Amino acid sequence: MNHLGIGIAILGVGIGLGLIGLGAMQGMARQPEAMSKLQINMLIALAFVELQGLLAFFVLPIMVK
Amino acid sequence: MLLQDFRLGSLLAEASEHEISFWGLFMYFLLVLAILVVILSMAKKSFGEKVFKKWPAQLFEQAYLFVEKLCLSTIGPHGRKYVPFIMTLWLVIFVGNSVALFMASSPTEDLSFNLGMALIAVGYAQWEGMRTNGVLGHLGHFAGPKLATFADPKTWLFFLITILLFCIEIISELMKNVSLSLRLFGNIDGGHKAVEAMNNITSGALIPLGAFLMPIKILTVIVQALIFCLLSCVYLGMVTSHASDDHAHGETAPAH
Repeated sequence: MNHLGIGIAILGVGIGLGLIGLGAMQGMARQPEAMSKLQINMLIALAFVELQGLLAFFVLPIMVK
Repeated sequence: MLLQDFRLGSLLAEASEHEISFWGLFMYFLLVLAILVVILSMAKKSFGEKVFKKWPAQLFEQAYLFVEKLCLSTIGPHGRKYVPFIMTLWLVIFVGNSVALFMASSPTEDLSFNLGMALIAVGYAQWEGMRTNGVLGHLGHFAGPKLATFADPKTWLFFLITILLFCIEIISELMKNVSLSLRLFGNIDGGHKAVEAMNNITSGALIPLGAFLMPIKILTVIVQALIFCLLSCVYLGMVTSHASDDHAHGETAPAH
């Protein structure tokens, strides 16, 4: 069951990462001169979403026994 | 032996099989330092020249320009002061991650090492905040906006909200350490685990399928070094903006 929970958590993280990528890509396509700013902010947002997946993968198996 | 028992990484021993001992971690870190010292001493030879013609100096010039641009765009115009600190973090993390590409383990694959770096980064941000705004001003940062006015009959409610905000901000400040260290550890360790799992798929046919993950691992190496430094810059920028011209800083900083 643990593995199923991790799978569901990673599913949510994947959707979140995809949404961030979608937003950043659309922004870059509409305004190519803002690319560098968008990339930095995109990376920050990616890092925060990615952390949830890492927490689910590394900390959840210890907490749920 | 005793040091090994107190290592924070052993908390995750059940989740991770990539456990190296304290002295093993030390040797890997010595390797990283040796690589850095050799390349930096090669770059130092061409300091006197007008134009950098040799590759080590050119490499470090580009790295310096990259980190300087990162600091200036994230912290603001006073960010040039923090370039040495961020540059040190970037070099250690980048070389440590690169070691993980070719070897069984690396310093940045160990949670205790990453937690040490995160404690340094967040603690330095606290110190700089105290130097910029004073100790009370820095603590006042945590309490949020000034809500309580004594003329208001509901002062006690605002006071309660301020205390609550203060507690939440302290917790989030502590969680910054966890998030910084766990992100780096999880990405590098996860990369190794993914390679192992993919190797296991085709181990019968003797095809190292995990080697095809190399491009995405190289991307991870670069992006994780960037993200650690970027978040350190963001934390530094949040606490070192002066309280009086807080809004002005927020709007003019991206223009640089």
